[in-house]
Amino acid sequence: MNITNEQIKNMYETMLKIRKFESRAKDLFAEGKIPGFVHLYIGEEAVATGACANLNNDDYITSTHRGHGHIIAKGGNLDNMMAELFGKETGYCKGKGGSMHIADATKGILGANGIVGAGHNIAVGAGLAAQYKKTGQVCVCFFGDASTNQSTFHEALNLASVWKLPVVFVCENNGYGISVSQERHQAITDVSVRATAYNIPGITVDGNDVFAVYEAVGEAVARARKGQGPTLIECKTYRHRGHFEGDMTVYRTKEELEAWLKKDPIPRIEKYILENNIMTEEEIKEENAKVENMVKEAEKFADESNVPTLESALEDVYTDIVEEGRVR
Amino acid sequence: MISIGIIANPASGKDIRRLVSHATVIDNNEKINIVERIILGAQALGVGRVYMMPDSFNMGYRVEEKLNTCDELRCEINVIDMYRYDGIEDTLAAAEQMEKLNVGCIVVLGGDGTNRAVAKVVKNTPLISISTGTNNAYPVMMEGTIAGMAAAATANGSFDESFYIERDKRIEIYKNGVLEDIALIDAVISKETFVGSKAIWDMDSIDKIFVSRCHPASIGFSAIVGSRKIILPKDDYGACVDINNNNSKVFAAVAAGVVAPVSVSEPIILNLDDEYKYTTSFRGTIALDGEREIQFSEKQEFVFKVTRHGPRRINVKRALETAQNNGFFKTKNDSLI
Repeated sequence: MNITNEQIKNMYETMLKIRKFESRAKDLFAEGKIPGFVHLYIGEEAVATGACANLNNDDYITSTHRGHGHIIAKGGNLDNMMAELFGKETGYCKGKGGSMHIADATKGILGANGIVGAGHNIAVGAGLAAQYKKTGQVCVCFFGDASTNQSTFHEALNLASVWKLPVVFVCENNGYGISVSQERHQAITDVSVRATAYNIPGITVDGNDVFAVYEAVGEAVARARKGQGPTLIECKTYRHRGHFEGDMTVYRTKEELEAWLKKDPIPRIEKYILENNIMTEEEIKEENAKVENMVKEAEKFADESNVPTLESALEDVYTDIVEEGRVR
Repeated sequence: MISIGIIANPASGKDIRRLVSHATVIDNNEKINIVERIILGAQALGVGRVYMMPDSFNMGYRVEEKLNTCDELRCEINVIDMYRYDGIEDTLAAAEQMEKLNVGCIVVLGGDGTNRAVAKVVKNTPLISISTGTNNAYPVMMEGTIAGMAAAATANGSFDESFYIERDKRIEIYKNGVLEDIALIDAVISKETFVGSKAIWDMDSIDKIFVSRCHPASIGFSAIVGSRKIILPKDDYGACVDINNNNSKVFAAVAAGVVAPVSVSEPIILNLDDEYKYTTSFRGTIALDGEREIQFSEKQEFVFKVTRHGPRRINVKRALETAQNNGFFKTKNDSLI
């Protein structure tokens, strides 16, 4: 699969945006500036980046409670994201959704989701719409290993297979469902093997290698656009932080974390970029500084934005569609 | 006590070839079934201890529990005590340990990549290689029970091994005079610029193929060369060909379910230990036994060499014939019942 230097630079920038946004969110949460919960994507950047690098602006994604990385990779605006985390009225949900509900319909981002496994069926709905309208769009559905124990996983993959829907199911297998290791919650080690039950291709790739993810999702997206149906791609990865900020991670060992830190996706792409003369060390430093500045600007934007007014508390909570239904 | 080793790679059978070709998925529960049958076959013919590589699916412990539950386990299953990385490091470490433990043979369940990893560290212990996929040139598909019986016959150590064990060839790849890596069957120079998902399915990206053996009945890159010339494991030479260089095309089984026309030159014979120098003229990767492993940039020099330093491979059928000729299957005493 061909990939240009420009594409590699873009992927690197996306991964840096995710890492630096999440790292700052960690500090801001510790400082008490972010209300609610945050589930950070640090360590898993290669999955969202490699997958979304294959998508057009109007293609769809569905996300999870650990959704910041997916949204950034699909083109989400850092200012509006940070403002949403801060609970400000300039946020994506006008400060009423917080970390786990960020959505942007203009970019095909069908929303992060606080309910484990809720994205599977939304993705199937998006795939059905694309197929019905013959738009050529695809939907990439991100989800974790533990969510594949939910009934929604079965319902979604079964229907997507039967109707040959343009959906790419991307499982981010980070080895844990909250604090429960995969070996304690699943009778398998590779989620990809579940694809055989739905008569669709299922493969496992190194989720910390952005090129491996890019290549695999690229093939699956091409297959989906040709009307050949869904694919299940399992990306083996690891979250460097706890399930949520404040999680002490007593359920995993220091050795395990250290082994995965050696597979950190960001130094891996930097090594490739330097070895192949795609960027110089100086250019890498400049890129880091540029992205750090973007995150600082986002924080400033969020900081200076207003909290929603008391009067707006019920705005955007109920839709007119529901009201119309009531009238009928 | 007669012992054997088993390395079952939990990661094999699930790579991108399931998406870009028609390769089969082999899940780890199926591997457990195969391991069970290997152990049952081996213990019936005198193996007292089986060393197993630890893995993320705990195959060794699961087999032990299952066979104990049905009261069929007669030998000792010893899962090697080592730190698990859930990567190729585990195969390397376990194979090294097994050789140190002087096991009579190692049964490897996996693909070409798993066998290549074992071959990197094992010098003398003979191998039985069982394919757990559909895109493999080195390991072969076989029934686990029979593999276990052949493992027992080999580990017994009473027969003339020259009847059924051959030392294989390998392709050695040197960079700056240092051995960089090896391939058991084929090494491919590709214009794919990154390792990524490892497999190669775009034939247009290939520049050159080196083989230690080739046959049209094989699958993968060696089948391309095999469509021009047959080179057997016993032949003291390998070959290399140019691909996509306006040569006439041959049909070859390049992947499971994919028979493609490929432009291929007449093979150049590489005698054992001949050095073939190659200077890169583009950015690309070298795929070893079907998997991209070595990245290179322009103007780098590599040396390819076919040698007889590969692993010692057990011919299962001949091992059992030799055992039969020597009365190994006769129930002389209770220890074999």
